[in-house]
Amino acid sequence: MNRILLTAALLGLTNVSLASAQTTVEFWHSFGDAKRSGWIQARADEYNKTHSGVKVVPSYKGSYNDSLQATILAARQGKAPALVQIFEVGSQLALDSGAFQPVSSVKNVDFSDYIKPVINYYTIGGKVNSLPFNSSSPVLYFNQDLMKKAGLNPKQPPTTYGGLIKACEKIEAAKLDTTCFGMSLNGWFIEQWMAQQGAPLLNNGNGRQGRATATNLDSQAAKNIFSFFKTMQERKYYTYTGKLEDWDGSDAIFTNQKTVFHITSTADIGNIRDAAKKAGFSVGVGVMPIPDGSKRNGVVIGGASLWISKGVSKPQAEGALDFALYMTNTQNMAEWHKLTGYYPVRQSSIDLLRKQGWFTQTPLQLVAFNQLTRTVPSPATAGGLNGAAIQTRKIMEEGVQKVLGGQNVDAALKETKARADAALAEYNANFK
Amino acid sequence: MAVKPAAPPTRAALRSRRARGVWLTHAALILAILIISAPLIFAVIKSTQTSSIVLSPSLLPGGAFFQNLSGVWEDAHLGRYMRNSLVVAVCVTAGKTTLALLAALAFVYFRFPLKGAAFTLVLLSLMLPTEVLIIALFDLVSRDLNWANTYAAIIVPFLASATGTFLFRQHFLSIPTSLADAARIDGCGPLRYLTHILIPMSTNTIGALAVIQFVYAWDQYIWPLVIMQQDDKQVVQVGLRKLIEVGGQTDWGAVMAGAVITALPPLIVFTALQKQFSRGFALTEDK
Amino acid sequence: MLSPGRARPTPDAAENAVFRGRALPWLFLLPSLLILAVFIYLPALQTLRLAAYRANVILGTEQFVGLANFADLLSSPAYQQVALQTLVFTVLTVTFGLLLSLGLAWLASRPVRGAGAYRLLLIYPYALSPAIAGTLWLFLFNPEIGLINQLLGELFGVRPRWLDTPSLAFGLVTLAAIWKGLAYNIVFYLASIQNLPGDVMEAAEIDGATPAQVFWRVAFPLLSPITFFLVFTNIIAALFDSFALTDILTRGGPYTGHAGATTFLVYQLYQDGFVNFKTGVAAAQAALMLALVAFVTWMQFRLGERRVHYGS
Repeated sequence: MNRILLTAALLGLTNVSLASAQTTVEFWHSFGDAKRSGWIQARADEYNKTHSGVKVVPSYKGSYNDSLQATILAARQGKAPALVQIFEVGSQLALDSGAFQPVSSVKNVDFSDYIKPVINYYTIGGKVNSLPFNSSSPVLYFNQDLMKKAGLNPKQPPTTYGGLIKACEKIEAAKLDTTCFGMSLNGWFIEQWMAQQGAPLLNNGNGRQGRATATNLDSQAAKNIFSFFKTMQERKYYTYTGKLEDWDGSDAIFTNQKTVFHITSTADIGNIRDAAKKAGFSVGVGVMPIPDGSKRNGVVIGGASLWISKGVSKPQAEGALDFALYMTNTQNMAEWHKLTGYYPVRQSSIDLLRKQGWFTQTPLQLVAFNQLTRTVPSPATAGGLNGAAIQTRKIMEEGVQKVLGGQNVDAALKETKARADAALAEYNANFK
Repeated sequence: MAVKPAAPPTRAALRSRRARGVWLTHAALILAILIISAPLIFAVIKSTQTSSIVLSPSLLPGGAFFQNLSGVWEDAHLGRYMRNSLVVAVCVTAGKTTLALLAALAFVYFRFPLKGAAFTLVLLSLMLPTEVLIIALFDLVSRDLNWANTYAAIIVPFLASATGTFLFRQHFLSIPTSLADAARIDGCGPLRYLTHILIPMSTNTIGALAVIQFVYAWDQYIWPLVIMQQDDKQVVQVGLRKLIEVGGQTDWGAVMAGAVITALPPLIVFTALQKQFSRGFALTEDK
Repeated sequence: MLSPGRARPTPDAAENAVFRGRALPWLFLLPSLLILAVFIYLPALQTLRLAAYRANVILGTEQFVGLANFADLLSSPAYQQVALQTLVFTVLTVTFGLLLSLGLAWLASRPVRGAGAYRLLLIYPYALSPAIAGTLWLFLFNPEIGLINQLLGELFGVRPRWLDTPSLAFGLVTLAAIWKGLAYNIVFYLASIQNLPGDVMEAAEIDGATPAQVFWRVAFPLLSPITFFLVFTNIIAALFDSFALTDILTRGGPYTGHAGATTFLVYQLYQDGFVNFKTGVAAAQAALMLALVAFVTWMQFRLGERRVHYGS
C-alpha cells in the first residue's frame, strides 16, 4: 500500500514537473492513410519546433465512430485528449456527452474568415463549438468519354433529377453496356437533398432551437428524393454495390466505367481524378442534381471538425486551440485543399488559391466551390442536428433500400419516418 | 447392427464394385475440392495481378504479388497487424495451455473440498461466450481496468480454457495412477510430475489444443474491433476490413494479397501440428 | 468446445487423490478461476444488471427501466425477424455443413490412391478466418466489378444483385458460412472415421451390405458422438462467427421487412451496443442470447449423455 502511494506521489510529481516545462496536447484524428495523417504530423512537427512550450502529439484513432467513443471513454477516466476530430453527424452526441467545451469559450477567436455554411454548421446555440477542419459536400462526377459516346455534351452535365433521367435515356439508347448512374447509398445525400430544397430534415429548426423530436420525412421534399430512387430503379438507371454506406465500392464502380454518372463527396476529387486517368477516361465534375422545379438552396457541410475536451488544463486547451488554428490557417488550408480536395474552410485561403491560379489549373474544383459559397443560409442548409444521427442516417438508407426493393414511396417514407422518429424519442428519453 | 443379410457376393464381384466405386470417389473428391478451393485459387491468382487488370475477369496469374503485398504491408500496416495478431495468438495459446494444464492437475491429482463446484464453474463458462459479454466486458476492460488499447485487453480475458481443462483432465485420467504414486514415493512434487511426466505424455493433446486455440485467437474479430480503438495495436482480421475500406480506391489485388498472407500463420501451425492434432483427438475418442 | 459425447458436468468417481495439500490445488486453479470470475462471470452479472437500464455509454446516462428492454425487444417485429433469420441461418448452415463435410470426409477416407492428398486439400481451408471468407466473397460477388457477375453477364447476360436482393444476400451469407465451416468439420470427421473399427465395416461389406448401407447403418451410428459435438460447435459458430462474415460481406443488409436480411443476433447486438450506443438494449439482447446459449449447452449435455452411441 505504502509503495503504491509512493509511486503515485512520484508519478504525480513528474507530471507536475513536466507540465511546468511543457504542455502536451494529444490530438486524435481519423485519417489512417499516409497522405492525410502524414500531412497532420508534418503540421504538428512544424508547430512543435516553433512553440517550445507545447508538444502536439497527433495519433490515428480509427474511424470517426471509434475515436468519438474512445474520447468519451478517456474523458471518463480523466485522460481525455486535448484535441479531437469528430464527424459532423456526431456533433450533437459530442455536445450532449458533456466531454467538450466550445472553442469560443477557450479563447476569443475571430471566426469571420470562415466560410458561412461551414461555420453555421458548427455554431450551436450561438456558440461555435468546434473548429471547422475537413469539410466537403457532394457533387456530380461524370465520365466525359462515355457521355460523348452517348451523344451527350460533357460541357452541360445534368443539374436536375429530370435532366439526369433524360441523360440516362440517351445512355440506355446508346447501348454502352454501362449503368447510367451510381452512388453510395448514404443518408448523407438525403440530408443534402433536403437542404437543397430548403427543407429542414428535423423539426425544432432542424434540431437547432431545441432537441429534434420528429423528422420531416413526410414532406414533399422527402417524397421527391425517394421518388427519384424509385424512378431510377424502375428504369434500371441506378446501381450500387448493395452494401449501405459503401463509399469505396461505389467509387470503384464509377472509375471502372460501369456507370456514367456518380455522386460522391468533393473530398474524392483527387482520388477519382487519379483513378480515371489510370483507367483512361476524363472525368468531369458538376453540381449535385436536385429535384426539378426546386430552387437551389445549397449544401450542408460534411466532414469533421476539431473539438476541445473539457477535462484538460487551461494551458492544454489553449495549446490545442492554438495548434488547431495554426493547422487551419490560410496557407495550410490552401495546401490541405490541394492535397485532399477538402474545402479550404477560410475565405482568405480561397483568395490565396485564386491568386495562385489554382482554379484555372483545376477547373473541377471550381464547381464544388461555387456550390458551397452560393449556399443560402437557413436552418435547412445549416444542417440537422440530432444525437441519434448515426442511427437515423442508417434508417433513411434502409428506407431507400426498400424503395429499391420494390416498395412504394409513400409506404417506405411512412415507415422510415416512424422508425427515425422512434430513434429520436429513444435518444431523447436519456435526458428525462 | 442391422445389415441386410443378402446373398454374399463373390470376391470378384466385390472387387469390381469397388473399382467402380473408386472411380466415382475420385471424381466426387476432385469436384468437391475444386469447388471448395475455387475462392482461394481466385484469391491467390488475383493477388498476383496488377491493379490495372485485377478488376477484369482475367484469371491469368501475374507477377505483381510482392508489389501488391509490399503496398499493404507498409502503407496499410498489414505487417503491424500481423505482428499484433501473432503476439496475441501465441500468448493466448501458451497461456491457455498452461492454465488448463495446472487446472487439470488440480482436478485429477488432488482431493479437496468444493472440487465439484469448481469444476462446474469451469465447465459452465462454455455457456458464456465472450461475444455475448462484450457490452459489459467493454465497460469492465476499458473503464474499470483501463486496458483499452493494450494487448492485455485482447489476451487476458481469453486465458482460461474450459475446453483445455476438460481435455487435459480426460487425458490425465487415462494415465495409470500407479505412475503418479511411484513418482510421489520417489519424492516428486506435483509440479515436477507435471513438467517431467505429464507434459511429455500429453504432447498430442497439447498439440491438438494448440492448433484450435491458435486458430481461435487468430480469428478474433468482434472483440478487438470494439476494444482496440488505436490502430497500432489492432489485429489482422480487423485490419483486413480496413484494407477494403481505405477511404478511396480499394486496391483489390493488394487486399487479396493481404487475405492470402493472413491465412498463412494458421496454415503453418496447422501443418506443423497435424499429426498431434489428429492423434490428440483420437485419444479423447477412446479412453 | 467439448470432447465428443463425454461431457459430464461433475468429476466422476475417478479421483486419483495422489498428492496432498490443501492450498496447493487451489493455487493451481487460481489463475483459471480468477480469469473466469473477472472476465466471464462478472461481465455476465453486469450484463443482467445493465439489461434493466436505459443506458447510453457516450452520454453516461442510466435510468432503471425494469424489464422494459426485454418487453420491447420481444415485441419488436425487427428483433423477431432477426431472431427468425438467425434460426433459419443456423439450421441451414449446421445441417448442410455437417452433411456435406461428413460425406466428403467419408469419401476421403476410402482406401483410394492419393487419399492423403485429398484429405490435406480438404482441410487446409481451416486456416481461413470468417473475415477472410467475407473479404473473398465480397470481391467475387460485387455486382458490377466482381468476377461472378462479369462471367454471368458475359455468358448468360444476367447480373444478379447479390448483396441487395434479400433472398440472394441471405443465401450468399449462408453459403459462405457453410463453405467456411466445412474444413473444421471435415477435420473432426476424418479423425473419427480413421478411428472407426475397420473390421466391423469390413465384415458388414463381406456380409453383402452395399456401401450406402455400410455408411448409414454402421458408420453413421458409430460417428454419432462426434456428430453431436459438431452440431453443438456449429450452432455456436453460426451464432457468433457469422459476425465477421456479415460485417464485411453485407453489413447486415439489405433491409427488408423490419430488419436487414442478413442481420443476425450478434450483429444486432453490436449495432445497438457500439454504433447506436443503446447500451441497455444491447445488454438485454446479450441476456437473451445467454439464455439461448445456455439452452443449447444444456441440450448438448442432456442429449449427449443419453442418446449418443458410443464407439466400443
